[in-house]
Amino acid sequence: MIKVLFFGPVAERVGNSEVAVDFSAGMRLQDLRAQLQAKYPAAFELVCFAAVDGEQVQDMSLLLAEGNEVVFMSKFSGG
Amino acid sequence: MKDAVRIQQQDFSQDEEIVALRASSKRMGGIATFIGCARDFSEGREVTQLSFDAYGSMAVAEMKRLRDEAIAKFGLLDARIVHRIGVVGAGDQIVFIAAGAEHRAPALQACQWLIDELKQRVPIWKKEITPQGDAWVTPHP
Repeated sequence: MIKVLFFGPVAERVGNSEVAVDFSAGMRLQDLRAQLQAKYPAAFELVCFAAVDGEQVQDMSLLLAEGNEVVFMSKFSGG
Repeated sequence: MKDAVRIQQQDFSQDEEIVALRASSKRMGGIATFIGCARDFSEGREVTQLSFDAYGSMAVAEMKRLRDEAIAKFGLLDARIVHRIGVVGAGDQIVFIAAGAEHRAPALQACQWLIDELKQRVPIWKKEITPQGDAWVTPHP
């Protein structure tokens, strides 16, 4: 299972702050994004960054592993 | 003593933070601080409250990294960063940054660098609560 977290405006558009996605061997970050984007297109209009296990990831071809925590994030607006 | 880098719901005391910063070294000749506050007006609308959401573990890790980088980059003796989350009333404090160095120039430069980098790198999101409804803030320079 992959735990996917959403925050702020992305969570609001998803209607949830957390979803679980079944893990499959060979699954890449871009596959997960595509799967969720198809389900939550309005939320993913805002998504600019992704993080895996708390580290921001630029390479969307990153192979995921069972138990990863993935976050799709919009631009930050703290401060 | 409270951690030098924190996110928290409750308000913070600038005085307590400065005491903690100064306790780290008697060689500190300059301390620069920044306090970000909630404005009651934005984009032509009255704002009654702000609400902050954060990816807590990553936010704290990134703030700690920022502090370490600032200490190395500007030769600081110490630095502190506190950011509130949850609901903050108009006029209330949101974020505190303090940079202490032997001389004023690196303290001032580090303080500006820290708030600029925090806005770019720390996963925190702000929503404005207004009489007309709520709206997430779109970042601007």
